[in-house]
Amino acid sequence: MAYPALPIPREEEWPFDPPPEYAELRATSRVVRVACPTGIDAWLVSDYAGVREVLGDGRRFSVQPGTASHVLHGFDPEAPPRSFTQMDGPEHIRIRRNFAPQVTHTRRLAELSPLVEQITEDAIDRMLASPQPYPLHSQFSTAITTGVIAELIGVPPEQRHLMRDAASALFTGATTPKELEAALEPLFGYLYQAVASRRDEPGDDVLSRMIVHSRDAERPLTDAELTTMNGALLIAGFDTTASMITYGLVALLSTPGQWDRLVADPSLAASATEELVRYLGVGLGLLRRATVDVELSGQQIKAGDYVVAAVQSGNRDKSLYPDADVLDVARKPGAHLGFGHGAHACVGQQIARMELTTVLGALARRVPSLRIAVPLDEIAWKQDTPVRGPAELPVVWQ
Amino acid sequence: MKVTVDRDMCIGAGNCVLTAPAVFDQDQEEAIVVLLDETPPPSELTAVREAVDRCPAAVIRLET
Repeated sequence: MAYPALPIPREEEWPFDPPPEYAELRATSRVVRVACPTGIDAWLVSDYAGVREVLGDGRRFSVQPGTASHVLHGFDPEAPPRSFTQMDGPEHIRIRRNFAPQVTHTRRLAELSPLVEQITEDAIDRMLASPQPYPLHSQFSTAITTGVIAELIGVPPEQRHLMRDAASALFTGATTPKELEAALEPLFGYLYQAVASRRDEPGDDVLSRMIVHSRDAERPLTDAELTTMNGALLIAGFDTTASMITYGLVALLSTPGQWDRLVADPSLAASATEELVRYLGVGLGLLRRATVDVELSGQQIKAGDYVVAAVQSGNRDKSLYPDADVLDVARKPGAHLGFGHGAHACVGQQIARMELTTVLGALARRVPSLRIAVPLDEIAWKQDTPVRGPAELPVVWQ
Repeated sequence: MKVTVDRDMCIGAGNCVLTAPAVFDQDQEEAIVVLLDETPPPSELTAVREAVDRCPAAVIRLET
């Protein structure tokens, strides 16, 4: 039997909102069967409590199929796990523990803050010296986030194109598993060599720190694990954050009063960041697989069935905020699902927060006259990718 | 109010430290949660509730 299709964001029609089908599903907490773009059928969970329950319970809802295998053809949800992103329980925790001291420790973040500020100020200097209209996504957002994560991991400028090549293949829905492997090879080959050389001569970068940190562990990280972990940080670290900077700016500049409010008080950058991630994040949802028979909102789900947690829809639930469909840069930051939830919640979330907050605050201070150079309906949006946002954004200022 | 944490399942996301810094910290080596105050004063209740809500790994328990 053919099920209705998974509702996919169509930004050209609703630039900032989940498809309208979600409103009724969410209001009634209904869990329905849908057909996903990659050919698998899944149960769709759309309300805040349901999404939080699915993502928060790795015992009953496994990440083994890969969180985007409902939309990316490069991943076979039936295949054995490729990396820690598809592991559950203690085995995943063992790997994940190596990220926290480097990228989510609050004291480490304080050390990294000057680097992010410098890269941001430099990018604004270059922007202000450039002709208009200025292609903000490629020249500004992506340049900043690529610079930050490459500096963190110690990837020299001449190798940074490897990150972009890998991400463009990884986040394109049309890539086959074989093509994907070929596209990732150059970056992973480079990283594998970097692991070897930094084992001999560790520096102050994240990769070296992971090597040193894991050396005394019961089971030190292998070269292959270090390569995968740092590859994941590099790829996920710049494309997702760059997209959120650009997408977030479109939302701020197009929603009456929101940009003006930030310009009037740039200290709202932190709450604006949290709000944009809540409002816009993860429009395609995250895939899980039931490990046992479970019941969600009265719906029986069998062990082995796929489940899509509709993150953006969940974040618009009236149980979270009565006005959850309103974008409000001054909303007091609270719990939301925009960085995911559970043991696999975004490992780079504190760095992403820092980058977004720094960039939004600096732009509001230094380029208050910023505006989009074209009407909203002429913006080209990325297609076939779980990392949503404009493909490019021409901007002007006075 | 009594607070407990499960360090074995903590992923070191750091949200609790940002939300309730008087009650939570992260250890230097692993960035895993450290409970600074098991019985915080009532003035911390809102912040601790929010830390429970914002912990991705659900390792903070609060009894009131």
